[in-house]
Amino acid sequence: MSTPTITRPEWSTVIDPVLQKELEQHVLVTSWDKMLGMVDTVYNWGRRSSLWPLGFGLACCAIEMICTASSRFDIARFGAEVFRGSPRQADVMIVSGTVTKTMMPMIARLYDQMPEPKYVMAMGACASGGGPFKEGYNVVSGIDKYLPVDVYIPGCPPTPQALLNGLIMLQRKIDGERFTQAPWYRGDVERDVPIPVLGPDLIDVRLLEVTAEKTAQGLVEAREETLVKPTLIPAPQPEVPEVVEAVSDAPVAPKAPSKLDLLRAQAAGTAAPAAAEGTEPAKPAAKPAGKPAKKVKKAIARPSLVWLGDAGLEELAARINTRFSDGTATIIQAGLLIPSERLVAVCHYLRDDNLIKYDYLASLQSVHFEDCIEVNYHLESTTTPGKLIQLRVRTSEKEGEGEVPSVNAIWRGADFQEREVYDMMGIRFTGHPELKRILMWDGYAYWPLRKDFLEPYYEGPTKVFESRVEDGRHFRSEEFNPYGSNTKIPKDYTGWNTLDSGDDTKGKTLLPTGVEISELGTDQFMVSMGPQHPSTHGVFRMNLRVDGETIVGLKPVMGYMHRNHEKIGERNTFLMNFPFTDRLDYLTSMGNNFGYALAIEQLMGDEAKPPERAEYIRIIMAELTRVASHMWSIGFLLNDLGAFFTPALYAIEERELILDLFEWASGSRMMCNYFRFGGVAFDLPKGWIERCRGLVNNRLDGKIDELDRYLTKNEIVIDRAKGIGVLTAKEAINFSTAGPILRASGVEYDVRRAAPYGIYDRFDFKVVTGKNGDVYDRYLVRLEEMRESVKILKQACRDIPEGPILPGKKSYQIKVPAGEAYSRVENPKGELGYYVYADGSGTAYRYHVRSPSFINLTSLEQMCLGHSIADVVGILGSLDIVLGEVDR
Amino acid sequence: MNVACDWAFPLVWAQQSELDSIPWLKWIIVLAVVFFGIFPGIVAYTVWGERKVAARFQDRIGPNRVGPLGLLQPIADAIKLITKEDLVPRSADRWVHLIAPVLILVSAFLVLPVIPFGVGLAAVNPPSGLIYLIAVSSLSALGIFLAGWSSRNKYSLLGAMRAVAQLVSYEVPQVLSIVPIILWAGSLSMVTIFDKQVLYGWFLFSPPGMLAFVTLTIANIAEVNRTPFDLPEAESEIIAGYHTEYSGMRFGLFFLAEYLSVFAVSCLGTAIFLGGGTLPWPLTGEPVVTLGGGETLFAMLLLNLPLIGIFMAKVSLYIFLMFWIRATLPRLRVDQLMAFAWKFMVPLCIINIFISAVWYECVIRPSKPNYLLGWGVTLPLVVVSIIGVLALYRSSMKAEPVELTTGSRRRSVVRSVS
Repeated sequence: MSTPTITRPEWSTVIDPVLQKELEQHVLVTSWDKMLGMVDTVYNWGRRSSLWPLGFGLACCAIEMICTASSRFDIARFGAEVFRGSPRQADVMIVSGTVTKTMMPMIARLYDQMPEPKYVMAMGACASGGGPFKEGYNVVSGIDKYLPVDVYIPGCPPTPQALLNGLIMLQRKIDGERFTQAPWYRGDVERDVPIPVLGPDLIDVRLLEVTAEKTAQGLVEAREETLVKPTLIPAPQPEVPEVVEAVSDAPVAPKAPSKLDLLRAQAAGTAAPAAAEGTEPAKPAAKPAGKPAKKVKKAIARPSLVWLGDAGLEELAARINTRFSDGTATIIQAGLLIPSERLVAVCHYLRDDNLIKYDYLASLQSVHFEDCIEVNYHLESTTTPGKLIQLRVRTSEKEGEGEVPSVNAIWRGADFQEREVYDMMGIRFTGHPELKRILMWDGYAYWPLRKDFLEPYYEGPTKVFESRVEDGRHFRSEEFNPYGSNTKIPKDYTGWNTLDSGDDTKGKTLLPTGVEISELGTDQFMVSMGPQHPSTHGVFRMNLRVDGETIVGLKPVMGYMHRNHEKIGERNTFLMNFPFTDRLDYLTSMGNNFGYALAIEQLMGDEAKPPERAEYIRIIMAELTRVASHMWSIGFLLNDLGAFFTPALYAIEERELILDLFEWASGSRMMCNYFRFGGVAFDLPKGWIERCRGLVNNRLDGKIDELDRYLTKNEIVIDRAKGIGVLTAKEAINFSTAGPILRASGVEYDVRRAAPYGIYDRFDFKVVTGKNGDVYDRYLVRLEEMRESVKILKQACRDIPEGPILPGKKSYQIKVPAGEAYSRVENPKGELGYYVYADGSGTAYRYHVRSPSFINLTSLEQMCLGHSIADVVGILGSLDIVLGEVDR
Repeated sequence: MNVACDWAFPLVWAQQSELDSIPWLKWIIVLAVVFFGIFPGIVAYTVWGERKVAARFQDRIGPNRVGPLGLLQPIADAIKLITKEDLVPRSADRWVHLIAPVLILVSAFLVLPVIPFGVGLAAVNPPSGLIYLIAVSSLSALGIFLAGWSSRNKYSLLGAMRAVAQLVSYEVPQVLSIVPIILWAGSLSMVTIFDKQVLYGWFLFSPPGMLAFVTLTIANIAEVNRTPFDLPEAESEIIAGYHTEYSGMRFGLFFLAEYLSVFAVSCLGTAIFLGGGTLPWPLTGEPVVTLGGGETLFAMLLLNLPLIGIFMAKVSLYIFLMFWIRATLPRLRVDQLMAFAWKFMVPLCIINIFISAVWYECVIRPSKPNYLLGWGVTLPLVVVSIIGVLALYRSSMKAEPVELTTGSRRRSVVRSVS
């Protein structure tokens, strides 16, 4: 301002209003603040219009995030399609899915690596607060426990529209920011997040001292003493003697099952007489535990719907007994109990010398009983399919004592499954080459699937928890837990000083031999690929040892998505578990539903036989799922091979049409939760079947041909895929691979044919096989399988009858008889199996998922050695894993 | 032909106005306006174009919220990138890390001064323009390598290793496919090459010319690391390759440099094969010959505006071709990429040099060009050589992979034992 001494008269006069207005319009009158406000406008506009997300997906939500980039939703309209693989170039981290403890240090590190200004969007229920998996022992209940969240997007998973809305909300938030007050320009604000440590549990280093103090006080143990005792004992405990009875009941084997067992039972004191008697009809004669003797209905004893049969099993048992010594094979509940010291010999015999060559280890799981831990083996033969048998091996129940010989040398497919049992139950497999924790991390304090392990948020043996309904108000789990978070550390833990944020407890034990992590040698070095990597299809990690670019060692590291499906499944009522199965392989929720429904229907027997119409609906849904999943798989295989999203987005277009059908029928795009025991949840809406017919008859074939035309003969695709990742038929069987992987190697094994379920035996379709077992053949098999699926769909849509969709009334109270069931379906990824051990109560006593993605990964190392990094990506793409299912 | 004089940019200006006593001012204007204004602008809208084109290929809309048709998108991106934190990893080699993107950008910029966008519009016209162009464009390999090495990140290092191998390999076919042009034009000067095309028609219009154009295009795509040769920054394999650790505007510089080189190689292809700003065959000499006489500023403008327009149209088509390829093709693997360069491209280019010598003998050297003879002789030669080299390449590729994999697998066993 100039000095006010000289005043020109015309300036001091009153300006006429028109001129005033003109002045205001054309002359900039401003203050410093307003100026900054204008800077803010530009600054904020630039940032809001260019939000590049971190290409980082955790779970189911990530699929919807990808769909948001697809043609129907097109996040690119907002300029946000630039998904950056490197955190250095990203602006917003979309935490899309369940945050697990194993993954949490990685997420914190990624966040710290992002440059300011950075934003976090919590996508979905899990990322916002734990969601359906909150009670899991490996789940962080909400990313906001560690990172500052800007936008929460509700939904499970949120639809792409919801994500777009979240993005708009974030833009609005940015609009309100002030340049001058931005925390990232202020030195006094600490924006970095300390990286939590994987010690005995996930430990927040900010709360290290408090945690140590509380641990020393033994608050968790004290709480469990008070709270758990009444709720834990009644449910799982009394059922255990039944098993012992079942042991004794077995009519074919009057002898005591195993001396070891008997001794153990005697030591336990309770069940010994029952085992010794061996009288036939003594059903629930001795029920030692406190539960009132309620008559429990029993299911027919059979390992699976299609199996060897009683007569065959008896004959087999006799044969084994003559071949080895008496008492080697004892039939218990239609399974053969083998003493552990003879297991390897018997398995060798079954694989090589038996009439039916049991060359395929379908599934391996364990059950924790009161007096023993039983390891179960489901064996199948690929040469004469449909002859499933079950082996049982029992070992000490005491923590850390259980020991079973490894069958890894016989079926290499046992590798990961044995490691999983070790991880979950603490059973050591002698002879296993690399018995490390697979889903949890080394150093985790507990064996989580043991029945006596209670999660930090444990409230009771069955849902619905009282805390949620008492007095009309509910409590958050955090209020119960002494740490206020999903943490549980044994009282006697002392290694507080050894905890180090830089320590990679999850991956460092799984290094390919001959290389140091940090070393950057000129000859060979290690690359940790994942868990955050654009092409690992989720949070999968591979520790690669590379020589230049040639892979000379590879160790898969998984468990970053382990959200405790099985433990949670043991607390869910049977019906309640359906939505959880959706979230296994989140691309194929209908298929997952199908398998689970079959398992429980097997237990329920004729009571839950689906009516005709329901059977047809199920087939239609399962096959539509297959088409959708294979579409996705092919699209993303091409993405992994370097095609810039175009094939993937073409494929997603078709998938969207199928998801529309799902949404119309079940109410949800991805997590359909549509099947029920004995049928489906709702009848098809009016017009649905016509639309489905239209899609199937007029569109899908053409679109599959289109993919075929664009991709199959493409020179680069052929170069990149042929002869890469070869798995011979023998290896494929031995590795227990399933689905397109197995068939691409030339093994004609498809559960729909080998062990028909539903009404698959009525349809005319071909089992597609490949020749060479390479990436290209896997692609071709998927392509052809889509054609076959369309063929089935055409038949099903033509023949579907009218009628009821459930055998009885819709019911929320499902009575499942006690017994054991293993159901398997041919899911798009391969043989999906559900092992359920029911004790007659409202929940499963043991619930295990044989996940094809997980077991297919066993062969990854073998396939990748000698190839280059680029090929590893392609091979992994051709395996088509879904992390929700790999880590469960 | 009066146009075939020295057209170095400042000289023209000096001729036109004797009043202009300070030519360096012009230089500053050229530098400030063209190099820091127009070229980055072109690059920014190339990025926008790519996002739109890719979106259409993928059945999407692409950016449309930020400004009409998303036209302000690049500006928003730039504002964001500039205001973003610039991180240097703690263990990185700080100075090298900071210099590398600048080096790459400089290399991309240095290509542009020798490109004759129109008559008299090459900023400089060194007699060895082509050699200069090849030399500065290979500077980018150094920048990429420094970026990868200094980041102390394994993915960066892998990307850098790939980049160096790739750029060094593809420079060979790139240079070799330019040799026919040198042969025909008898000069390394870009301006002379342009002149010759005004005289003889585009160099593209001959069988060896077409072949050389195709090989040059392939080599160009490889030189600028774009699909299917985008290995150094292969997103699905090594995250972001050599620039994994770069953030903020320094990453923006990589972005800028990448698209600037796309623009530069498109200019190169256009200038030496597609006749620069001239029209196709029957009208080749048209605007230059009829309008080229005047020496006033107005005449210059009148001449150059259509030239630049046509030039840019050709460049856009060339860039669009690259977008198209990017949106449709998957990526090669390192060994395939190298094999393709050394076993297919290099032999083919060498053979093509001989064929172009034949063309030179038939068409260019004789005072009366015999096009018919030229086409009749060289076309079969080109076809035969393509088929022959392709067959050889195919047979070599068929035998190889099996051998390779078993070999390295065996080696791995030995190593892990030791």
